This record gives sequence, structure tokens and C-alpha cells, in this order.
Amino acid sequence: MSTSAAVAPIFPTFEQVCQGFAGQIGMLRQLAPEPTLTDAVRVERAIDTLIAETNAGEAVWLESCIHCGQCTTACHFFQATGEAKYAPMRKMELYRRIYQREVGPFRWWYKLITRPVKLKDLEELQELVYDSCSECGRCTMVCPMGIDTASLVHHLRSALVAAELVPAELAALTAEQKHRGTIFGASADTLMNMINTIRDHYGVTIPLDKPSAEVMVLSSAVDLVANGNGLLATARIMNHLGVDWTMCSDGFESANFGLLSGDMALWRQQSESITTAAQRIGAKTLVIAECGHAYPALRWNPMIKGGSLPFDMVYMSEFLGRMAKAGRLNLTPIDGKITYHDPCKTGRRGGAFDQPRAVLQAMNADYVELPSGREYNWCCGGGAGIFLLERATRLRDESFKIKIKQVNATGAATVVVSCASCRLNFEAGRVKNHWDKEVASLVELVADHLIDTPARTPAATSSQPGVTA
Amino acid sequence: MTLLEFARGPAIHWALIILVAGTIWRLLGVLVLTRGGDLSRPRDAFGNYKGYRTVFSRAWPSSEFNVATRYQTIVAYLFHFATLIVVVGITAHIEFIQSLTGASWPALPNAAGVAIGIVALVSLLALILRRLTNPSIYCSNLGDYITWILVAAPLITGLMAFAHLGPRYETMLAIHILTVALMFIWFPFSKLMHSIWFVFSRAQSGLTYAHKGVQI
Repeated sequence: MSTSAAVAPIFPTFEQVCQGFAGQIGMLRQLAPEPTLTDAVRVERAIDTLIAETNAGEAVWLESCIHCGQCTTACHFFQATGEAKYAPMRKMELYRRIYQREVGPFRWWYKLITRPVKLKDLEELQELVYDSCSECGRCTMVCPMGIDTASLVHHLRSALVAAELVPAELAALTAEQKHRGTIFGASADTLMNMINTIRDHYGVTIPLDKPSAEVMVLSSAVDLVANGNGLLATARIMNHLGVDWTMCSDGFESANFGLLSGDMALWRQQSESITTAAQRIGAKTLVIAECGHAYPALRWNPMIKGGSLPFDMVYMSEFLGRMAKAGRLNLTPIDGKITYHDPCKTGRRGGAFDQPRAVLQAMNADYVELPSGREYNWCCGGGAGIFLLERATRLRDESFKIKIKQVNATGAATVVVSCASCRLNFEAGRVKNHWDKEVASLVELVADHLIDTPARTPAATSSQPGVTA
Repeated sequence: MTLLEFARGPAIHWALIILVAGTIWRLLGVLVLTRGGDLSRPRDAFGNYKGYRTVFSRAWPSSEFNVATRYQTIVAYLFHFATLIVVVGITAHIEFIQSLTGASWPALPNAAGVAIGIVALVSLLALILRRLTNPSIYCSNLGDYITWILVAAPLITGLMAFAHLGPRYETMLAIHILTVALMFIWFPFSKLMHSIWFVFSRAQSGLTYAHKGVQI
């Protein structure tokens, strides 16, 4: 069940993974579907989507903005460029106009005094809600009205899906996941091949399609098509813990391009296949792979009746943290000073702060917090699909400089992340800036530090028998 | 009917009617909309209640944003408090409120009233100066400027009437009351409504985040 460290590695390094993805992303632009509807219909569909998605919550936020400017400097994209159009409050201007004309209590008046929305307005919006907003929510932390701009931006993305205005790379992947159920071609066969490779080469078993299991584990396309080390690390940890686990060939993909693009029909199709599989096998715990937005897609999605599902949904870092706190992870100490970058979707917008830190503590890490850390952490600039957008390269590169400064201030040699998107963006930024830091994934770090005595007979110091997953 | 009689009579009364009716209309128009429920399981069973703290905690920005928000926060606080004190603290206003409601309380000394009125006006000027000199930060629209003018006007005319500057006192007082009437009429249609929305807006976000175990 565990493996010897002497096996020669066969999977690429993450730097190679990152380079490989850059090539694949380049090809996506040619695969993007062309608009099929007339301009008028596209505008109408966008407006109808916003009308349908505007509840009292959205309305209050749209009504509350006083243009006080506080959010502006909280946004990494404004901070990095100083360009007015990237101010968070500008990102919801068009939403407010549509709301005032169609939904608000003075709509008859605003229909008289405001311009009707044209396709050109929506085309201009594309850059504001895809390229320059990672829905990280940092602006909400400073807004005196507490406006949750990120969730408003998400509705705008849905409107642009209806208007066939999703940026090419995201549109291509959304179409692929919708029609073929794969991302970058990562199908159930890909999963099976990867499982076989890991078994044959490393002697590590990954249970697939067990009829019942306590723990259902998800993977992600990044791991399946390139970074085999990610899935290998996950398997080593699960086997080390001795949990009754499985992967399911009809629900293994964490990444949800429905949520990323704003296509909520795809979101539902994708998330339901996972929750259905988990119920079928009688899982008690569903472990979401290190794929930031999969957390809000599953665990925190307001449309999934989490309260009545018979299983818990936890993010990988949360799962590892629980195990570490229960003393079930036997880990060797880690050298050098370490810091941790909270992905927006699991940190500020997910609340999984303590668990990844507990894991690092279990490795006796010389841990140091980022300045402006935890709830106030700066986004790395690659979230919410932005890493995939070639057009957003400048925005990503400029905002990543904030991240470099923030990490450098800690004096840490290694920055640990727990999100494939963050990791790809960190890696690209590291190479581009010849940055002397090491970027590590939490799950792979844990796997590298496992002590291969089964944890079911844990050391007396941290023994807590009876703790279940 | 003199200008002062018009200002004190139909002008201010109609303005108050529009203020109240318009505010109720705008509040109801929003609050009657359906509220999307969050079906996901909260991080801890009673965690959501903690979200209401945001209504109060957001009264002052987190130290994380000290440098960026210092000017705006301090000047805005000066403006809001100074204006509030002037509105409820000087003799003429108390008499007006008494004529409407019957309630009355001791007034500030005149000199203090003038001083605080000047603080309010200067802080309002400081806010517009910053808005005008940092266009990329503020994203201002026509409504922002109209609101500023309609808030500044009662302060300026009130101080002028008090100091017996400009036209004769009765005319100046009438102008002052008319500017207040204009501001009342503008209130329900403008960002001045933030004085009510802030409670709802902060509470909503506080709850959304508390649901996930995050204190904002």
C-alpha cells in the first residue's frame, strides 16, 4: 500500500507541467465556438439572465454603492496597473444600469434617462468580469457597505454566457466539458490509464469504482493530463491513512468550467454527477482535489442542499488538516522557513484557514504568516479561470508582483499553495521572474514527508483512535 | 405668500412627504424581491448569527486598509458627525423639529453651532477635492456631484443665514429652507439612501461569509 522512495520518478516536474499547459492553452483559442445568435437576441438573453438572477440580496448591494473609492486600491488588478477601469465598483456599473432599468423600484424613470444596453456594452464588460476579476472578494473586506462585488461579477459572467461572450479559452473548455464531459481530454479512460501507471510504476494502488466506500476522492484535469505526482501523492496519503476510499469513473473531476465561465447549467450537470456518485457508494466524506473553485462549486454552492446530503464535502487541505489534528498523519519534519498562500476560494471565500496550517504544524514547519494574510490575502492573479486567458497575461504578470513582494517580506524559502490554479500561476510567475522561491503543493508536500509506517498504529504522542474521516 | 412662508409651508411639507413616500417606495421595491436561500451546510450551526456583527464592525475599516482609507474615513466621519450635531443641536432646528413633533431639547451655544457647521462644510469640501483630484479611484458620476451640491447647499446657506451674510435675513432663511427641501426630495432617488441601505448590505455580506466561517 505504500511505496519505496527508491523508484525513479516518471512524471514531469511542475515546471514542465506548466510549460506543457501553456502550449495546450494556446490551442484552445482556435477551438472556441463562434456566436450563433443575432446581436439583439444576445443582448436580450444577457438582460433576461440578470433579471432572473437578481434577488433582494443583489439588489441591496447594487443600491448601496456610494462611489467612495475604498474598494479600488484593495483590488490587485487596480493596484498593479493603476487603471481606472479595473476598480471593483466599475465592474458592476452595467449590472446596476440593467437593474435600475429592469428590476429596481424606479425602473420607469431609469428607462427614460439611461441608454438601453447594447452588445458593445457587453463586449466591453468581458474584460472587466473575466480578465480582471478573479472573484477573490478582497474588495468586500474594505467596502464600508460590505458589498460582495465578487458575487455580482459571477452573475455578470452568467449574463455573458447567455450573450455568447465567454473568452475563447474558457468557452472552448466549457464546451468540451459540456459535450464530452472532459477537460483537456481528461476522460474516465485517462483516469484509468493514470491509475494503472501509478500502480505499475510506483506500486501504489488507487481503488476505482468500489461499490461502496467511506471516502470518495476527486481528482482534477491538471493531475490527470500532466501532473501525475498530484494523484500519486493523494493515493499515498489515503493509503497511509488506511481509509476505505475510492475514486469513481462517473464523478472524478473537481474542475467545473460551468462555475468558472458562469454557465450554471453545466455547473449543475457537473456537480450532480459527483453528488450522485457519492450517494450511490454511500460515502461519508467527499474529498475535493486541490482545485480552488471546486470548493465553491460543491461545498459552498447555495443551490446544493448540503444540509440534507448524507456526506460531508471537504477540500483536500481541510481533509489533511483534520487528519493532522487527529494525529493520523505521521510526518517527517520539514526544513527551512515556510509560508502558506490561502487560495481566495478556500480562504476568504471558503473559511478553510486553520486546517492547512495544522498540516504544516504537524511537520514542525518553521512557519511564518504572509503580511496581509488569511482573510486579507492578495489573490495570486490567476484565479477564476484568468490563468487560462492569454489576453490577461499583462494583468496576471503585473499583479503577481504584489504576490512576490508579499512572499519576499516573510523571508520564507518555500511558499505552499493548495490550488492547482494558484500553483500554475505561481509557477509561471516564478519562472518568468527568476524568483528564488520554491512553490509547493500541500498534498505533494505531505506525501513527500510521510513516514511509511501505517498511521493506524500511530505514535503514542499523537494517538487519537476512533477519529473517523 | 412671501418666499419665507412658501419655504416654511408647502415647500418643506411637500418635500417631507416626498422624502418619506419615496424612501418607503424604494425600500419596499427592493425588499419585496425574493431572497435566494443558501442551501449549503453552514460551517458551524450558529455561525450565521455572527454575521450580524458586520453591521457594526464595518463602521471602521480593518487596520489592513489603514493607509489607503485613512483620509476618506476620518474626513467622512468628521462630516457625518458635524452635520448630525448641527442638524439636531442648534436652536432654529430644534424649534422646527418641535413644530413638527412637539419634542424639544436644550440647544448648543450659537458659537459652537457655527464652529461645527464650519467643520461640516470644510470636511465636505475636503471630500470633493479628493474626489476631483483622484478620478480613477472614485469613478464618479453625475449623481455623485448632484448629491454633493444638494448636501453642501443647506450647509452654506445655513451658515450664511446665521451670520447675516448675503441678502436680508428672511430671504436667506427662505433659501436655506428651500435647499433643505431640495435635498429631502433628492434623498429617496440618490445615494443618500446609503444611510439606510448600509444596515442591509453589511448584514447580508456578514451572513454570507459567516456561513462559511469567515469573519469579515
